[in-house]
Amino acid sequence: MNIPLLKKALSNPLALSGFIIIMVVLTLSMLAPFIAPYDPNDINVKAILLEPSPQHWLGTDGLGRDVLSRMLHGGRISLLVGLVAVGISTIIGVLLGSVAGFYRGWTDTFIMRLVDVMLSIPSFFLILAVIAFLTPSITNIMIVIGLTSWMGVARLVRAEFLSIREREFVMASRTLGAKDARLIFTHLLPNSLTPIIVSAILGVAGAVLMESGLSFLGLGVQAPQASWGNILTDGKEYIQFAWWLSLFPGLAILVTVLGYNLLGEGLRDALDPRSNACK
Amino acid sequence: MHTTQSTLVASFIKYAFITLTVLLVTSCSSQSDSTSSNKNLHDQFAPESGGTLINAMTGEPSSLISMIAGESASSAITSNLFNSLLKYDKNLEIEGDLVSSWQISPDQKTITFKLKPDLKWADNEPITSADVLFTWQAVTDEKTASPYASDFLLVKNAEIPDPLTFKITYEQPYASALDSWAGLQILPKHRLLGQDLHTTTFSRNPIGSHYYKLDNWTHGAYLKMSRNTLSVLGPAKIDRLVTRIIPDNSAQFLELMADNIDLMGLDPIKYARIIPSRPELQDKLALYKELGNSYTYMGFNLKHPPFDDVRVRKAINYAIDKQEIIDGVYLGLGINIASPYKPGTRWSNPSLTPYPYDPDKARALLKEAGFTDTNGDGILERNGKPFSFEIITNQNKEREKSAVLIQRRLKEVGINVTIRSIEWASFISRFIKTGDFDVVVLGWGLGLDPDQYNIWHSSQQAPGQFNFIGYQNSTVDKLLEQGRLELDPDKRMKIYHEFAQVLLNDSPIVYLSAGYGLTAIHQRVKGIDTPSPPAGVGHNSYDWYIPQPLRRNEMSVN
Repeated sequence: MNIPLLKKALSNPLALSGFIIIMVVLTLSMLAPFIAPYDPNDINVKAILLEPSPQHWLGTDGLGRDVLSRMLHGGRISLLVGLVAVGISTIIGVLLGSVAGFYRGWTDTFIMRLVDVMLSIPSFFLILAVIAFLTPSITNIMIVIGLTSWMGVARLVRAEFLSIREREFVMASRTLGAKDARLIFTHLLPNSLTPIIVSAILGVAGAVLMESGLSFLGLGVQAPQASWGNILTDGKEYIQFAWWLSLFPGLAILVTVLGYNLLGEGLRDALDPRSNACK
Repeated sequence: MHTTQSTLVASFIKYAFITLTVLLVTSCSSQSDSTSSNKNLHDQFAPESGGTLINAMTGEPSSLISMIAGESASSAITSNLFNSLLKYDKNLEIEGDLVSSWQISPDQKTITFKLKPDLKWADNEPITSADVLFTWQAVTDEKTASPYASDFLLVKNAEIPDPLTFKITYEQPYASALDSWAGLQILPKHRLLGQDLHTTTFSRNPIGSHYYKLDNWTHGAYLKMSRNTLSVLGPAKIDRLVTRIIPDNSAQFLELMADNIDLMGLDPIKYARIIPSRPELQDKLALYKELGNSYTYMGFNLKHPPFDDVRVRKAINYAIDKQEIIDGVYLGLGINIASPYKPGTRWSNPSLTPYPYDPDKARALLKEAGFTDTNGDGILERNGKPFSFEIITNQNKEREKSAVLIQRRLKEVGINVTIRSIEWASFISRFIKTGDFDVVVLGWGLGLDPDQYNIWHSSQQAPGQFNFIGYQNSTVDKLLEQGRLELDPDKRMKIYHEFAQVLLNDSPIVYLSAGYGLTAIHQRVKGIDTPSPPAGVGHNSYDWYIPQPLRRNEMSVN
């Protein structure tokens, strides 16, 4: 993506706020080992379920662990899962989408029917079913989320390819004898990059939510590792009493997902000539 | 008078079973320590019939034939539906349930039970000694694979001279005989003859003889029972019992606060922290705390190396800080134990002390067993394989938290532990019954009799039986066999003291805590004995009542 476009996107106040949120969350998560006041797994049975206080800014959980430290470390997990899962889904989506859009014919039909089949299965239940057979772990979660959320990207890339492959510069290149791979990688793909980026950013939001949901159900990140989802699970147990255990991780998920969505939407608006024309 | 058996909630554990969660009103000893914040005035309302009592359980019964289920969820329901020949009264003395009298022969080998006359099943068929004989045949049938079979296989001969007499002869005098018959729920022959107990529809739609009959079991939602007009012990006061299946303990608590359930087992945080901090809950709920006959443990799969090595088991025992678990998870509402018996009872060996927390000793033992950290990653290895295992437990917050504490302590001595928490039904069927696990954190709810043959004898390892950790020790086998035959209480006590000692030394399980049964009951429920008798708060639940003005709008009960 080029810099002027990014600038244009960030001139949109919503996209800018999304960008800032993500930067803050990313920075805090990256720096977690340095800024977390306690070891996230440091159990202190004498400090169970303490309210937020100067010692524990966000209180402590059912085993006396510092919630702030767990949230910071949990943020790393949530974002790691989000980014890797989206990485996987984007790679698969781009590959299948390009093949379908470039070659058309039965390949296209086959891939698109596969997409239809995958989309017809509710993805959360598909993931639940798959996880039930595997041991829940971060790696499995990332792979499973990635493998079940590439369909949108595939459709998007195919649609882009369908329109771009008919353009003159592609024709010209083809006439000059360019091979398929060259056409795809130097002409078609770079020109469909922006919608892919937008969809990837929106995808991260979905993956973060998905990971939180799975961890909340006990199928995601396993103890003692913290993730926002499993801190929430602990909180649910004492929701009428230890509000801080539900509120803060809930807010973190909300704000992060909001941030990715704002940035994604803002980028789309900025990069879409039609929506620009409307303004 | 033969009508003093508690039935409404799982009042007694006559038998060992695997416990699902915080035990519900399950005290069973002569030293019931019960406290209550009960401020209600019993005398304000005269006892009256009617009304609906709603309680909740976290797990659904796997079957309503308790001889094959062997779990607390099943027993909580079936104790309202079925009678046994005998039962315990509120002071834990044996008395007749279906029988009016029983006679033990002078050589202690033959017992003759006389059934009460004119007893009826809920479908109006007569209850006869043929039903009792049928039940005995069922429990001892190999195909039934009952975890309790061994108790009844000792009966050499059973006969029914007439429809009201059931006569059994043991090979040798059996010390737990009466206790075992107090635990065996009698099933109707006319409904079950020729059927496979594991697949019969009866297990979901039973016909019993007790205070209540099952009207409706909606899977995953509730079990509804209504008063059995033909009850062999006369009518209960409360008309309907609804047991809602609410797997999530916090959702249960929300329902309790919203007045949608009347009774639930509490976890220590709710009992000791949440309710005391909320005056409106204190006014609404009566709390009961009783030292139950149950304990939580971490059990090794002794068939999986390296847990077959006693040094490894001991090392792990030393490496775990039990007091930390009691303080941190049970908020002090637990007792560190060294034998599988309720502390303070005669069966609990007072000379035994729990393994102290001693990580250095643990490290030394592990080294002796061949574990060293060869690659410097902080995790011990033996033959190049890192020492790493998985603890599984059911979705029970206390057990999960205990597992996290254990995980940390074991990491300190160089053992890598992962934790997996699994929903109850699949936990039992997929892992416990198949023996497909390394280490479990689980609980045992125990009977009044010290006999623990079902749990520890090496013959009890078939799928569905209770020795699923695969414990095998010829000394223990012999002691358990002796204990069953010893009628002299003092000699019997010595046998079980020795048994506990061998067990402690072998360390097949790590005792984590003997916990209290913590229960909250809504103040609308009257007639509860305070303080609770030895048999526990639920002992007279058939006599509990809900005065008309305090009943909830019946339309809202569904």
